[in-house]
Amino acid sequence: MGCAVALSSTAVRADVVAVVSSKSSITTLTKNQVIDIFLGRRIRFPDGNPAVPIDQAEGSATRNEFYERFANMSPALLKAFWSKIIFTGRGLPPQSVANSMEAKKFVMANLNTIGYIDRSMVDSDVKVVLAP
Amino acid sequence: MNAFSYRLTLTALLAALCVANARAEDPKSGTSMFSFSGFGTLGVVHSSEKNADFTSSVFKPDGAGYSESWSPGVDSRIGAQLTARFSRQFSALVQVVAEQRYDDTYKPSVEWANIKYQFTPDLSARIGRIVLPVYMVSDFRKVGYANPWVRPPTEVYGTNPVTNIDGTDLSYRLHLGEITTTLHGTYGRDYTSDYPHGVSSKARDVWGIVDTTEYGAASFYVSYLQSHISLRPPIALFDAFRQFGPQGIAIADNYELIDKTVRVVTLGASYDPGNWFSMAEWTHSKYHSFLGKSTGWYVSGGYRIGRFTPYITDAQVTNAITSDPGLTLSTLPPYLAVPAAALNAGLNQVLARNPVQRTISAGLRWDFTKNFDFKLQCDHTRLGPGSPGTLINVQPGFRSGGTLNLFSATVDFVF
Repeated sequence: MGCAVALSSTAVRADVVAVVSSKSSITTLTKNQVIDIFLGRRIRFPDGNPAVPIDQAEGSATRNEFYERFANMSPALLKAFWSKIIFTGRGLPPQSVANSMEAKKFVMANLNTIGYIDRSMVDSDVKVVLAP
Repeated sequence: MNAFSYRLTLTALLAALCVANARAEDPKSGTSMFSFSGFGTLGVVHSSEKNADFTSSVFKPDGAGYSESWSPGVDSRIGAQLTARFSRQFSALVQVVAEQRYDDTYKPSVEWANIKYQFTPDLSARIGRIVLPVYMVSDFRKVGYANPWVRPPTEVYGTNPVTNIDGTDLSYRLHLGEITTTLHGTYGRDYTSDYPHGVSSKARDVWGIVDTTEYGAASFYVSYLQSHISLRPPIALFDAFRQFGPQGIAIADNYELIDKTVRVVTLGASYDPGNWFSMAEWTHSKYHSFLGKSTGWYVSGGYRIGRFTPYITDAQVTNAITSDPGLTLSTLPPYLAVPAAALNAGLNQVLARNPVQRTISAGLRWDFTKNFDFKLQCDHTRLGPGSPGTLINVQPGFRSGGTLNLFSATVDFVF
């Protein structure tokens, strides 16, 4: 019984991965590199090409999972982080799209874009650069 | 806010509108050029000390304790910000904040109003009304939601209450492997008459260098600022000292705050891996005047358990100059020794007002719903011997060197 519950809870939990276009020269990134790009601390990939992060809508499960898992940040903590940046005019959060499908389309269309999507949506069009 | 800052704001707004018009004709711009956001805090503070007021800034005329049993003015404020992005390089920002002012109104004033040019993603310049980056959280000290506490520790953030200057700054970000370091140079001036009791200050040739270094969850902060500051009206006591020959003149020159070089050094560090946070800051100010040499520090930390973040803070402010022997009475004839003794007493009264205190705080932040938090904080303050600490409106029944307790409750929000 306990085993069944454990199994079902892992199945329910969204498994999120960071992706770039399959045509991108990037093969793998560290957790810090990915998070620095999403938090606006880093604007280039390690190879020197510009890095454009694409976020998902506030409140979406995939977004919460992404920041919780890779940055150890709750939605409230992330909001507080961006409040520090916004109210000093130092920057704005990344552009965001509605869901993983939209994020994937964005990543496929632009070589410089990095997004995060549900692992179940990974196919030959995108390349996983960071997984849990 | 003076005439100069009104003109500045108007210029910034007009410039923004002109560029906006020019840009509106560009059919390529897809997303909205303007973004509007805001923040605020609603709070009350209660103090156990009934013969003096606790408040969060010298710009406020009263607070909790003597004037009010439950004071909303200490922490409550609302801020609104309009950002305009004209192109990838060019943007403008206006932030207006309404909070309790020197005249006990909540008339809004312009906190920032500047134009920014982003030369490269790592190099930018701003001109207009910009932040005065004295401390680690100076940039967002008024945004309660962005801070772990009800208010930044008064022992450090109270030593230099000015939050903005009219001028220019340059920011350059460097990437060294996984380390990011941001160098920030700033220059400007601040003329303000926002103090209670008709006091005004002029800070000219304000310049500073700040370095913020980030490595993963760790960040380090170093800043140096200096400025020439004059306080008006001049204190009559010092003119009286000047009647007493070279020694009196030397005392007056030493303590008068007229065109004096003020220097501030601040060091800070924070570590925030997510489940918990810790931060510490140390600051030293040399005022070359009756404000003395002030040193403040705090150490703070908290643990995040779901939506709850309990935290504790230990903070202290001391001052190297809280008394002075004054005029040498033994060399004066008796008819001069009596008024000289009175002047010495007056000087020592002024110096004794320099804040010396230590505060232990415990609080709880509750992120009860999206974009809102609720905070409770208890502060226990021990005042230095003979010092009123950071308290204002000290009444005859006040006993210095004692202790006081504060209870604060706030709701912070962002939108």
